[in-house]
Amino acid sequence: MALDIVTGNHAAGHALCVAGEANRNARGAACGIYPITPQTEIVERVAGYAFTKGKVVPVESEHSAMAVTIGASVSGARAFTASSSNGLAYMFENVMVAGFYRLPIVMAAVNRTLGPPWNIWVDQGDTLALRDFPWVQLYASDNQEVHDLTLLAFRMAEDHRILLPVMVCMDGFVVSHTQGETDLATQEQADRFLPELDLPHRLDDANPRAIGGMVWPDATVSHRMDIREAMERVPGVYDECRAAFAGVFGREPGGVLDAYRCGDADTVLVASATIALTTRRVVDRRRAAGEKVGMVKMRMFRPFPEAALREACASAQRVGVLDRDYAAGVGGIWWQDARAAFQGHRPGLVLQDYIVGVGGGDVTPALVDGILDDLGGRDVAGPPHWADMKPATEVDQ
Amino acid sequence: MVEIRIHGRGGQGGVTLAKLIATSRFLQHQSVQAFGLYAAERSGAPVQAFCRFDDEVITNRNLIYEPDHVVVLDPTLVGPTIVGGLKPGGWILLNTEKEPGAFTGDFPHNRVATVDATGIARAHGLGTRSVPIVNTALAGAVGRILGFPLEEMLAALAHLGFGGGNVNAASDAYAAVAMVDAAEPAAPGDGRPKAVRFDRQPGFLTGAGGARPTVATGKWASEQPKRQQYVPPCNHACPAGNDVRGFLQALAEDRTDDALEILLRTTPFPSVCGRVCPAPCMAVCNRVALDEAVNVREMERFAGDHGKVSLVPAERRDERVAVIGSGPAGLAAAYHLALFGYGVTLYEGGSSLGGLLRTGIPEFRLPHETLDREVARILDLGVEAVTGVFIDRERLLSIARTHDAVFVATGLQELRSLRLGVGDDDLVLQGIDFLDQVHEGVAKRLDGEDVVVVGGGNTAMDAARSAVRLGAASVRIVYRRTRAEMPAIREEIEEALEEGVTMDFLAQPMAIQRMAQADGDLGEQHLVCRRMELGEPDASGRRSPVELPGSDYSLACHKVILALGQSPDLSVFPEGTEVREGTKLLGLLETPVYAVGDLATGDGTVAAAIGSGRRSAFHIHQTLTGDVVLTGEEARVRSDVHVWHDEVITADALRLHLFERQPAEAGDPISLGKRQTTFEEIHQGLATPAEAKRCLSCGVCNECDLCVTYCPEGVLKRVGHDLVFDYAYCKGCGICVTECPRNVVFMSHL
Repeated sequence: MALDIVTGNHAAGHALCVAGEANRNARGAACGIYPITPQTEIVERVAGYAFTKGKVVPVESEHSAMAVTIGASVSGARAFTASSSNGLAYMFENVMVAGFYRLPIVMAAVNRTLGPPWNIWVDQGDTLALRDFPWVQLYASDNQEVHDLTLLAFRMAEDHRILLPVMVCMDGFVVSHTQGETDLATQEQADRFLPELDLPHRLDDANPRAIGGMVWPDATVSHRMDIREAMERVPGVYDECRAAFAGVFGREPGGVLDAYRCGDADTVLVASATIALTTRRVVDRRRAAGEKVGMVKMRMFRPFPEAALREACASAQRVGVLDRDYAAGVGGIWWQDARAAFQGHRPGLVLQDYIVGVGGGDVTPALVDGILDDLGGRDVAGPPHWADMKPATEVDQ
Repeated sequence: MVEIRIHGRGGQGGVTLAKLIATSRFLQHQSVQAFGLYAAERSGAPVQAFCRFDDEVITNRNLIYEPDHVVVLDPTLVGPTIVGGLKPGGWILLNTEKEPGAFTGDFPHNRVATVDATGIARAHGLGTRSVPIVNTALAGAVGRILGFPLEEMLAALAHLGFGGGNVNAASDAYAAVAMVDAAEPAAPGDGRPKAVRFDRQPGFLTGAGGARPTVATGKWASEQPKRQQYVPPCNHACPAGNDVRGFLQALAEDRTDDALEILLRTTPFPSVCGRVCPAPCMAVCNRVALDEAVNVREMERFAGDHGKVSLVPAERRDERVAVIGSGPAGLAAAYHLALFGYGVTLYEGGSSLGGLLRTGIPEFRLPHETLDREVARILDLGVEAVTGVFIDRERLLSIARTHDAVFVATGLQELRSLRLGVGDDDLVLQGIDFLDQVHEGVAKRLDGEDVVVVGGGNTAMDAARSAVRLGAASVRIVYRRTRAEMPAIREEIEEALEEGVTMDFLAQPMAIQRMAQADGDLGEQHLVCRRMELGEPDASGRRSPVELPGSDYSLACHKVILALGQSPDLSVFPEGTEVREGTKLLGLLETPVYAVGDLATGDGTVAAAIGSGRRSAFHIHQTLTGDVVLTGEEARVRSDVHVWHDEVITADALRLHLFERQPAEAGDPISLGKRQTTFEEIHQGLATPAEAKRCLSCGVCNECDLCVTYCPEGVLKRVGHDLVFDYAYCKGCGICVTECPRNVVFMSHL
């Protein structure tokens, strides 16, 4: 055990580095990096690490950082990078390309509000905006989860049944810059947990070929169906990786979601990241006062665990989804996927969207209380409710 | 769970203090958190940091609204808001020299602790004198008030790698912290905190956006920019005292008339000096460190030749001033005196005005019409010129009795000579006399003749080059030192060589000989010269030539022109008069009599003569009226400068990397053929003043406004000619200083 007091960024960077080092007897580790608040310490750690076999390339932009990472990955190196906010937006095209190339890249994504207007604090709009791409998206609530999910991500991504990139997301500042006790993997543990990367479509000078060239519609549709099937296998492989992780580290990362005190709950709140921790504390207090409330902590966003969510909310009459994000013209993004999950399943369910903490506002227990109070007073869902603005200025979408 | 909130200023280590406290608990196997609250602050801004510790795993990810304890790193932050939410009975730990009792009135419900962490940090050399790092000391104090053993705090320091003075600081603070209990018991709390919701804010469509103006971010600064000004090297070097930088900047902005006006404040001869000045300003131009000196001479010429200014003298005064000698010193004195309103009478022994400007400088360097134009400007101010009148001692005394002041500017009338033995009368002549003949148009042609010129100054060059133009078959300069010691203007030497003048260095003429012929004819003349070598330096600092015995050689020649230098003729003054510039001579009289120009200084340049005449005119005006006269930079026309430096600014103080290399514009001379056969002016002048744009405006703001452009906060503005800082919002980032190419902004510690 290597317990230390470190930040979320340190935990993520450490995991990326020991994972890369674990591939030292195969094709090693390589990546492109570019800094941005609040993830810069991750790429700094990666840049400062002495890989036995590796190359870290600082470039002039996030788009190039992912381009280099793609090049590294397709040549068989264990590849990874990190970004946030507008930097991630700049990376957009190559994030998509990494997924379409079926490359097992792991990205540490530190959630930060998109601008303008400029804002450095947490908001999930940056990673959720990439939801259409072939990436697995995982959301962590604390430093340990960041560390563990990052290591797990490599194993899952590199599984030949998956071969999709994975982003592990954490709240900017609230997790990235907060010191906390964290058990950091030793190199020996990482070596045991992560087999050497064997990329089936690796480009190799000895056997030159090209991939990704122009195809007819039939091959494109086939390509998308391949991705669909890989996505369908993700939850199963994810659970296998959790068990393998427990075998090495003695603790098991959580599943695609945690249903907390939902069994007999008539009201359930759905949340992710650190808001989920706050929501759980409020649930405990309300339960102590006799209310039948529960909460679901979402860990996986893509692929969206529809069945698991429905199951967790089976007894609930009212479900409130907490969205630290806003999709223009629609509303919260987790809510949209939740709505789709319940489509055709729970006709009378009150499924209400609560937009809260956008732009990094502190989502306090008092605010969550207010959400529960609002939800309790609804018999019918309404438009997304902006929970941290004063009631007199309530805005419909 | 215990929650602590820490208040500090950016740069003091508040976040690290949170980590230290958390680490000490982590090492005791507790669950911990430590974090800062970050926004757009720079160092100096108020910053909060937080830590939590608990035996149970901490899942609270919110900010700390109701801390159990508060720590304040900076005494200037102490106020009612820092204890917002502080639970009654909790500790307030303050970094201050005061005793806790001084604060119990402010915080009656809390336990108060104080420690002079700043003093302890300084004593152990932590941080700097102006920004000491107090967090490790405070870590010790925190341990004490919370009842942790010192070892646990030291273990945290060790875990984070803080050794040396930090350990001593923590230990000292642990021992030194003073504590008092809460003065009064507290009222019970009022239940769960309410949710804080936001008001709608206007967006940038309505013009809002950005930092809130109510936050006076200027308070975050520990230093803020101020304006300064240095002396540009060109201004410092100009013997006439011109505002060189000033007129160049006016030309750079295509304000030719303004450029001329600036020059006319000090010199009446821009067109003259723009042709003949050795330009010491160019020798010290800082631009040499980048590419080459600005061609100041050509720019002064441009302003003089193309600018238009109407001069209006001050109201006519009663006093009358006499000026003896119409060389550049006398004319400059007359010019300034006339501008002041004095009635000036200018006496000249020759037939025309200008002194050596007319008789000593050939027209291929300074055409007479140029000189006439600038002399006319002086006469138009009402100066009365009397030519053909030689002033001897008796006349000087008589003039002194009938005037309120007299300036004697007769220059260097004595010509040094060499004893060369027997020779024809017209074989040897003085360069000055030769040039006078050239000026009068009565110099004999030298076709087919071999001419030797002895000397290394401008007179020698002018005489040699005039001889070329008069058709000499050969012109050779003989100089007893080397080219490096020649006092002539560099360009003159180069142009002479281009025109075919040859130069014998380290050679001294000894005698003239004639080789007797068999038929009794005296035969050709030869100038016998002896080779020299350089020995010890003499009074002028130049190494003295020493004869090399047995090294004599002969030069056939038809003419020997001597240009050995000049010295003043002091016979106009009573015996024993000591002559220095501005010296009040003839103390027996009430009338002040001053010596100006070469007569007093022997400097030998036009610019120095102008400066001498100007300074003396200013001096007499100040003496007669009590008014203080200032020009240009002296006048300190800028009103936004906070600090005036008397030092000359050197190239290393400029940011030369902000300028692109660009060679100087030199202008082409007329063809060599014309140069060798006519007295036509060699240089035609530059067509535009574009060369002036190369002036860097060293040490003086020229309103380039790079600072305004690069200020990230928009707190810098140009208002009229002044640079205005909005100190209420300036955080002291220093970018304006970094981006200023010419060092006119500096950071001043608050």
